[in-house]
Amino acid sequence: MDDAGEALEARSPDWLQALDHTADAGMVVTAPELKTLFERAAWGMFTVITDPAKVRLETAVELAVDAPDRAALLVRWLSELNYRHITRHELFARFNILELSETRLVAEVQGEPIDPARHVIHTEIKAVTFHGLKIEQQGTDWRAQVIFDL
Amino acid sequence: MQFHQIGAALWEIPPEGGMRVPARIYATPKMLDAIRNDNASQQAANVAHLPGIVNYSLAMPDIHWGYGFPIGGVAAFDLKTGVISPGGVGYDINCGVRLMVSRLTRAEVTPRLRELVNQLFRDVPTGVGSAGALSVSEDELKRVVARGARWAVERGLGEESDLEYIEEHGCIAGAEPARVSARAWERGRGQLGTLGSGNHFLEVGYVSEVFDARAAQVLGLHPDQVTVIIHCGSRGFGYQVCEDYLSVMDRAVKKYGIELPDRQLACAPVDSEEGQAYWGAMQCAVNYAFANRQVIAHHTRRAFEHALGLDRHAIGLRTVYEVAHNIAKFEWHPVEGREVKLCIHRKGATRAFAPGRKEVPSAYQAIGQPVLIPGDMGRYSYVLTGTEQAMIQTFGSTCHGAGRALSRVKAKQMARGRNILQELEQRGILVRGQSRRTVDEEISEAYKDVSSVVDACALAGISNKVAQLRPLGCIKG
Repeated sequence: MDDAGEALEARSPDWLQALDHTADAGMVVTAPELKTLFERAAWGMFTVITDPAKVRLETAVELAVDAPDRAALLVRWLSELNYRHITRHELFARFNILELSETRLVAEVQGEPIDPARHVIHTEIKAVTFHGLKIEQQGTDWRAQVIFDL
Repeated sequence: MQFHQIGAALWEIPPEGGMRVPARIYATPKMLDAIRNDNASQQAANVAHLPGIVNYSLAMPDIHWGYGFPIGGVAAFDLKTGVISPGGVGYDINCGVRLMVSRLTRAEVTPRLRELVNQLFRDVPTGVGSAGALSVSEDELKRVVARGARWAVERGLGEESDLEYIEEHGCIAGAEPARVSARAWERGRGQLGTLGSGNHFLEVGYVSEVFDARAAQVLGLHPDQVTVIIHCGSRGFGYQVCEDYLSVMDRAVKKYGIELPDRQLACAPVDSEEGQAYWGAMQCAVNYAFANRQVIAHHTRRAFEHALGLDRHAIGLRTVYEVAHNIAKFEWHPVEGREVKLCIHRKGATRAFAPGRKEVPSAYQAIGQPVLIPGDMGRYSYVLTGTEQAMIQTFGSTCHGAGRALSRVKAKQMARGRNILQELEQRGILVRGQSRRTVDEEISEAYKDVSSVVDACALAGISNKVAQLRPLGCIKG
């Protein structure tokens, strides 16, 4: 047991907001450009799972995902990271998008294997859903909304 | 949207627009205001648009917002003209509940409750990051999904008598491993025998009240008897099956020209290639969940023995029943005076078959199928039985739980500055969890009072109240 939950919320960046939804958990992320939006969304997802500030950057992996459109690409990107987290017991805390188009993303992600002595796993994300999914431009900023099934 | 009251706890939304049948919502007048203000009643109406839906789109009193289908939704489809939808089952395929009872009384367990809860927390892994899941090869996992709970019993993880008291005897026919993706196998391999997180839990409790003495006697329930509730499902295996087939169905909707009011109702005709493929994969996940709960039940028995220093006969943990509450099944029901085989979707709803149905265990034939309704970790849970009215009104279905009243964000706000674990302990309830955040998100106040849900079902006649259980200890992922 720990106090990470409260501590994390206290220092949550202003570009990441928890979505107030009765059934599940969601987030709203903003960024000045699309690449940053996808990177921040990944970081935001890992704040649901654990405290990314406690994740060391010991491993790096390059991955690529494809999707029919930009919104689906965001879901596939986050789903891919969640799949790797669950099947390989890894946590990620740095995301560097190397290539981004409407339908394809290539990224280098850094993190480390779960260490139960240092990492608290708050919850599992069953799925990154298409419900209420949005990517839109607001003025000069980009904004994404994603809902997770926990 | 219009709501016409047609029963003491039943409301009908008449067909409008593309609705093929009415939507019917079970709720007391007091509950209806909250339901009206939630999108879930619109979701119940949306389900009524689906091709081949029979009689009505139903919602139980614990209705709340889901993906496409509302949680608490029940819908039956004709096998020739109807559809099957992953959204009508949910991500956690065959999420369900097992109730076990012991020979022990509350007074016998309370002095060693802390040891017991700690032992359970050690022996029943919760999920990612916790050690202790059964490690099985992909070939072995294929046997798991073909055999369900029987696979575990054959490996010595359980008793033959457990199988008699599980819905479908813990194994459903029609599993087709070839329909399951490589990712689902990979996610499923490391998670057998794990509880998971979110609202999943294992609870030690006791029988706090008996409402129907005869039914309680048949089920072997008596006041102060120590009980165990296991609530979990098919883990990453089922989540991945759902995710995979949501994409398949999204394409199928276009292929078959199905018009939907919400894209998340994606579906395919029951007898189409896509429908059959989902069916075969979904049944694999159903059996995975049956095996998962069986393994957890075995670890629970061992944890009781270690923590209490008693042998298994003295503890006598016996399965009363196990239900599925996220599932699609083929079942026979009367439609316009004749028995018809239908595809019944229950998403956050429980089968509640009446006395005399052949699916009900022989020992329970006189009282009907037991239904297990978990509440939140601070209050109580219920044991109900199915009724003839459920067979007539709801394709033999009833509610499945309390349903959230507050978002996780609001629940955490409510828990801020409080020590929820200490508060519960002061009330005699010991909770162990992986994360304080999860415990805060699952505080009692975040859930509706399950007694109002159960009372609405009883008032509507679709369930019969048998007993109430209260918690002593709980482990959460």
